[in-house]
Amino acid sequence: MQLINKHNSLKNSANDSKRISLKSKLAIAATGLLSATATETIANEATDEGWYFSASVLAYSETDRVSAVEVIFNAETTIDETGKLNIKFVLDSLTGASANGAITQNTLQTFSRPSGNGQYNIAAGTTPLDDTFKDTRAQLNLSWSNLLSPESDYQYTLGTNISKEYDFQSISLSAELAKGFNQKNTTISGGFSVAAEEYNPKGSTPIGLTSMAIRDNYPTEDVYDLAFDATRGSTSEAINSAELLLGWTQVVNRSTLMQFNYGYADKSGYLTDPFKIVSVVNASGITQDYIYENRPESRTQHSLFGLVKKHLNESIIDFSYRFTSDDWEIDTHTLDLHWKLFADGGSFWEPHVRFYQQSAADFYSTYLDQSEEVPPFISADYRIGEMSSITLGLKYGFEVNKDQRAEVRLEYYRQTPKSVGTERVAGLENLDLYPELDAVYLQVNYYF
Amino acid sequence: MASPCEVLIKTQDKIFCEKLAQLTTSEVSRIENKYSRYKTTNLLSQINSSNGGSIEIDNETFQLLNYAKEIFDLSDGLFDISSGVLGKFWTFKNQIHIPDNQDIKKALSQIGFNKINYTGKNISLPKGMKIDFGGIGKEYAVDQVAKILNAHCKIKSDNFLVNLGGDLFAKDYNNTDDELQNEAWKVGLENPKSGYINLLNGAVATSGTSQRSFIQNGKTYSHLLNPKTGWPIENPPSSVTCFAETCVLAGTYSSLAMLQGSDAESFLESEEIEHILVR
Repeated sequence: MQLINKHNSLKNSANDSKRISLKSKLAIAATGLLSATATETIANEATDEGWYFSASVLAYSETDRVSAVEVIFNAETTIDETGKLNIKFVLDSLTGASANGAITQNTLQTFSRPSGNGQYNIAAGTTPLDDTFKDTRAQLNLSWSNLLSPESDYQYTLGTNISKEYDFQSISLSAELAKGFNQKNTTISGGFSVAAEEYNPKGSTPIGLTSMAIRDNYPTEDVYDLAFDATRGSTSEAINSAELLLGWTQVVNRSTLMQFNYGYADKSGYLTDPFKIVSVVNASGITQDYIYENRPESRTQHSLFGLVKKHLNESIIDFSYRFTSDDWEIDTHTLDLHWKLFADGGSFWEPHVRFYQQSAADFYSTYLDQSEEVPPFISADYRIGEMSSITLGLKYGFEVNKDQRAEVRLEYYRQTPKSVGTERVAGLENLDLYPELDAVYLQVNYYF
Repeated sequence: MASPCEVLIKTQDKIFCEKLAQLTTSEVSRIENKYSRYKTTNLLSQINSSNGGSIEIDNETFQLLNYAKEIFDLSDGLFDISSGVLGKFWTFKNQIHIPDNQDIKKALSQIGFNKINYTGKNISLPKGMKIDFGGIGKEYAVDQVAKILNAHCKIKSDNFLVNLGGDLFAKDYNNTDDELQNEAWKVGLENPKSGYINLLNGAVATSGTSQRSFIQNGKTYSHLLNPKTGWPIENPPSSVTCFAETCVLAGTYSSLAMLQGSDAESFLESEEIEHILVR
């Protein structure tokens, strides 16, 4: 590019006083205009270093199943221009009932509560749901990021997360290092995190693959207690995990940004769900027994993620795809699309569509055929079965005033579990073994 | 503003930038919403649909009118914010024929800043007259944004640049040596292409004819109309870029220069205005 010199005006020798005074008259007028119109924003400004807060409330409800309410509070501040501190507090509460893994039958079914104290009945023709859990969870996140030195291209982030529920607690630590290249148009990052979780359920965890003892089947309370205790394993179980994440963010042009991630996660310990059982059925499809599920003690997962974000005229669109694959044979695909449309006065509408597809774990089975040998690992938990889901949502954001803004998000979620192709035992044809799940999310965010 | 707008600040503080992004975009939106001629309920549309009646105005509008009056007087009526109605005769996109002189004469009767009555509290336009601040609105917004940025950026001496569709203002707090080209903002020029200037301090505004002109019978007619005759200015430069202490001033200089037509160069030189002119 050529450098063009500023054109220097020639001095005027003629004494045209009227014309020369035009420039100074205009200058006076312009100064008058700008000084008389002081902007309101300057008058009300306090100091710059401050805290930025946000508060959110989320209500989640599945049709006939789980409901949850979650409250999140977030505080953020900058220290010495480049340092950023973020504190987040989450409180959530779950109620409702979740599928216990047993299949529907044409007769009434009875199950023992996870603690062994009491039992519950499920009507004929309905999906067995366990409503035992009513839990509240509290979580605290802290993260700190800064440049390695004021002029550095390297930025580090350190984080910790603590979570506590009635029978569960966890702690995790993470560290990430990112470097900018090409005038910050390219960012490469590498991060590592470790977590330790401990689970202390009331009534201990069940021993996998043992039969569920049901009070109705025993003559006395004492005999039942003995039988139930025999199915009990340890009072405390641990899960440890480690994760590696590599990322590449690239500014493509003025209006486009792309991001790619690769993740590797390794989890080991008690990965079974102690609340889930598997129905054992005979040749006529009639349940003979319920056994507690059992999952492997380790799980390794790879993930790939790609995102493209583009700024259009009056909107921003982002589209992402995520693929995961693990050694449980669960492969997932997620396609996510957000389109943020700007409207008047700093408000926006953001429609959202998400498709999700998952293949079943290799030890997933809707039920166990009595004539088959009990495999070492088995689970009928629909959440690791084959399924697809679709989410449709809409978010609306607006400015409350110059310092505060709010957002409202409403989303509809429909999950469709699928058959894994196991031969249907005669007698089960008229039963819905793969019930669909519908859920609604409503969230309100407030930034101040 | 109908053009790409940006604010560049030399800082690493993301929260600081987010806050300023909100403040500056709010201010630009505020000005645009108040004075845009494409809105149907704002102050400007109230003034323009008053049909001879009196409309209450605020101090900001009063100051803008004062400034418009000053330019009107100093340009001998060539810069006139009431001349917008002439636009309907000259579309310039698919202009097929020259408008009828009688039609133009009729339109002229509804033009003339001197016919406007205003005080610090209200304004009344003659029936059929319409005003718009398009000629100084964007430059005014640049200066207002610069004021907001200055209040926040001077604390830590964060240099900044405001660019609203090619009208710019830059501030350097560090008394950087002019020769240190790395510190200056590199501003590309559309006309001529591939040229650029180093901007550290001050305002830049450009007026140009670019796409808006047509040729008929061997004559080039630009989009700049002479509000006294109703006809396009003859032989204006292709573009004039002016430098000044504030954007409003730089914009006024470049507009006035364009209105001089073939005398643009001598006008700029006799007024000792720093400029880049392309024919």
